[in-house]
Amino acid sequence: MDVEQDELMGLLIAVAREDRAAFQRLYEKVSARMFGLCLKLASQRDLAEEAVQDAFVQIWHNAGEYHDERGAPLSWMLTIARYRTLDLMRVRKAKQTSGDSHLEHVEDGREGPLDVSLRSAGAAELTGCLEELSEPQRDSILLSYYRGFTHDELSETLSSPVGTVKSWIRRGLMALKRCLER
Amino acid sequence: MKKTPERIEALAAEYVLGSLRGRARQRFERWMMESVRVRQEVWFWEGKLGPLGARIEEEKPPASVWSGIERRLWPQSRDATPTTAANDGAGRWLWPGWSLVATAATLVLAVILLQQPASRDDQRLSGAIVQAETTDPLWLVSESALDRQLKLRPVAATAAEQGKDYELWIVPENGQPVSLGVMPVGETYQVTLDDETRALLSSSRTLAISLEPVGGSPTGAPTGPILHVAKLYEL
Repeated sequence: MDVEQDELMGLLIAVAREDRAAFQRLYEKVSARMFGLCLKLASQRDLAEEAVQDAFVQIWHNAGEYHDERGAPLSWMLTIARYRTLDLMRVRKAKQTSGDSHLEHVEDGREGPLDVSLRSAGAAELTGCLEELSEPQRDSILLSYYRGFTHDELSETLSSPVGTVKSWIRRGLMALKRCLER
Repeated sequence: MKKTPERIEALAAEYVLGSLRGRARQRFERWMMESVRVRQEVWFWEGKLGPLGARIEEEKPPASVWSGIERRLWPQSRDATPTTAANDGAGRWLWPGWSLVATAATLVLAVILLQQPASRDDQRLSGAIVQAETTDPLWLVSESALDRQLKLRPVAATAAEQGKDYELWIVPENGQPVSLGVMPVGETYQVTLDDETRALLSSSRTLAISLEPVGGSPTGAPTGPILHVAKLYEL
């Protein structure tokens, strides 16, 4: 575990003992990364702000439940925020009468649905295992992870039937797991 | 659906990725509550995919986010940073769908309690609301068909944060949770179930506790974070 993760671990332990100063310090260290991730995922500032707020409220209440089987402290906190963002996105989508305004918004983005920086970030973190996947497998997994795309949205973005997209994800994830376990 | 190792493996990956949606996601969350094996598979993926999130370009959230957090956690506190942005905390308490364990934080365990053997006519459900790394359960739960009472006895439960109450819910297999009222901490909470709520509880056997504004959810559905979910067992 690197120095930063050690420090985050120490802060989490202090937060579990209801140390407010440590909680604020944790927020200062993590919130910009968390907000960046939520914003990328949701493409909506107010939703991303709400997700970060909810995530930190949960971190305050649940810091004592962190343990090392759940990944590094930073990953754990980002995972909380990511799930929260996905939840909020689902509710918003369910409320929309037309489901495609989100897609148009994404496609209007300057970077396109999956920009190069994300692809290389993913590659670096997954220790080369992404390289072993086919391009559509990799893109559909990264689009789900970073952009929260549904099967329907992936199908539209990648111009492929939903069934095909589902199998790219499923097979891609299993191939990824085999590689990560090696 | 049976929990075969192949299914657990495939579904856990899609759960963490986020591509598992709707009913399938809810069903899988139930699996997570029931099985350590399933939770470990989820943790594997959270650990592997989690670092992807750290590679995104950072962006500092506006100051109103931090002041909102402080207001929610410590509404009475005087040293909370005064907020400048118009950011109404109360409006942020909309519960976005009933997603039980949709948080990496909520680790849910339920234990079977040893009680006196029940007579055949008196079917009983029993369980405990516990928290990881806390030795004592927060509440002990017992339900008896005979007197139609559901009882929650606090053991290690502490009072809700200031300005908040705990609200108890039955989580049905389908549809919205049903409120069983606001629970005082420090005394046994006892609620009489009518036929309908009893039927819901007997089939889903799932209770949840959410954090709500004082007096309980203003909307009739959970609005705050779900703090605990527990599965009850038949004795």
